[in-house]
Amino acid sequence: MNRSFFISISVVTIVLGVILAVQFRTTSAGDDVVPRNREQELALEKKSLVEDLYKLRTEIADLSVKLEQAGIGQRESDEALGRELVKIKQFAGLYQVSGPGVELLVERRPGEPGLGAVDFLDVTDAQLLKLVNELFSAGSEAIAINGQRITAISEVRLAGNHVNVNGTPLSPPYRIIAIGDASVLKNRLELKDGLVEYLSEYDVLTQIQEKEEVTIPAFTGELYFDYGRPVKES
Amino acid sequence: MTVSFWKPEEPLIKYKGTAVSSVKLKSFYLSVALAGLVIGLILSVQFRMTMDIQDNETIRRTQELADQVAQLKKEQEVLQPQLIRMREQLESLSTGPLSSQIKEELEMATMFSGLSALTGSGLEVSLKDSDVSQARNDNPDLYVVHDEDILRVVNELKAAGAEAVAINGQRLVANTGISCSGPAVRINKKALVPPFVITAIGSPETMEGALKMRGGVVEYLQFYGIQVSVKKLERLTIPAYSGSVKMDYVTDKEPELSAAA
Repeated sequence: MNRSFFISISVVTIVLGVILAVQFRTTSAGDDVVPRNREQELALEKKSLVEDLYKLRTEIADLSVKLEQAGIGQRESDEALGRELVKIKQFAGLYQVSGPGVELLVERRPGEPGLGAVDFLDVTDAQLLKLVNELFSAGSEAIAINGQRITAISEVRLAGNHVNVNGTPLSPPYRIIAIGDASVLKNRLELKDGLVEYLSEYDVLTQIQEKEEVTIPAFTGELYFDYGRPVKES
Repeated sequence: MTVSFWKPEEPLIKYKGTAVSSVKLKSFYLSVALAGLVIGLILSVQFRMTMDIQDNETIRRTQELADQVAQLKKEQEVLQPQLIRMREQLESLSTGPLSSQIKEELEMATMFSGLSALTGSGLEVSLKDSDVSQARNDNPDLYVVHDEDILRVVNELKAAGAEAVAINGQRLVANTGISCSGPAVRINKKALVPPFVITAIGSPETMEGALKMRGGVVEYLQFYGIQVSVKKLERLTIPAYSGSVKMDYVTDKEPELSAAA
């Protein structure tokens, strides 16, 4: 009896040990297994790649038309080059652009004096920077804050008492104009747990209006390169 | 669970010889209980296995998607340089008196917009996830590099006069957004993974000073244990933006040339 008891105990223990080992292996292997949201991530990446490829192909087609035109004669080639210049200037922010989009009015909630435990001075540079970044991430093609066009090297940064953009001091209220799919831009900002909700926790109110047409001015600053030189490709 | 189960058996063994029948009964119950436990465990393992098989379906789909993405990326890698070549070709085709003025303007515009590679002195800033995150018990999310951290550093560099900025080789252009997607950061429609290396052309001293000032962005990041290293470089090259400049929502496309010149 006693023997059979010990045998059953040892058998059970062995089985238990094996099971535990298997269980442990499965659990630690879980780290290597592709996480579920990897699939969504890939789907997103595929979508943006398809869009990007479409854009690249359209632009290549556009350039081949221009190249063909440039082959005809001097006048035609100058014209083709001029049109390419405008296109690049629009992209760079050196040319005014119009199109559908959104207009944001960003203001601090009018405070009731003496009530606020923490008194935020105003809309901060970081908050404006986040709004601009979120709009670009949502697919906006051009943005200006209080008439200052955002370029590849534009800053949104507190300097003294003002937020500077392109070295120009801005004053509140801040008006951000963005070109893009108006409803997509608006929805992205107004998502639950989105940026507008987040900012309202800091007493920053954002009103968003969808517009059929907005116009964004060109960057008016000086273009200079003191440190960078173009790389000449051989 | 196992511990509490073994304990009662010790008195059981001491009983031997005195009350055999009761011990027999007890041991019988015990083995039945153990068998039940084992069956339960086996079932749960079996259940997990089945779940894993379902997971395989997801893995297969994911693999398929990954292949498609790789294929599309290959295509992108072919088209992007083609685009840049064609733009250069267009420039070289125009040789008249008017075109030299346009070309000058075009060179400035491509440099400014990020469409041409730039070389010069500058700064290299690398951001790595904190290595203390595992040691501490609080929110590990605080100790990894976020889109916002990169945004801060980049903004600081621009305020300090950077003439061109890239992140892991992706040139920042006017409409570049920096966003998080899982562990990666998306820039110019590309998913970048840490460490993030931010390169900027400009005055190395001014930019370093701006980042490292008291209460500045480096101090802020280091507070969360993010590993920041800043290196001044006499010469670095920042690649051109390789994407398209097509704007889908801009309605006044390519106005008359007279307006441009």
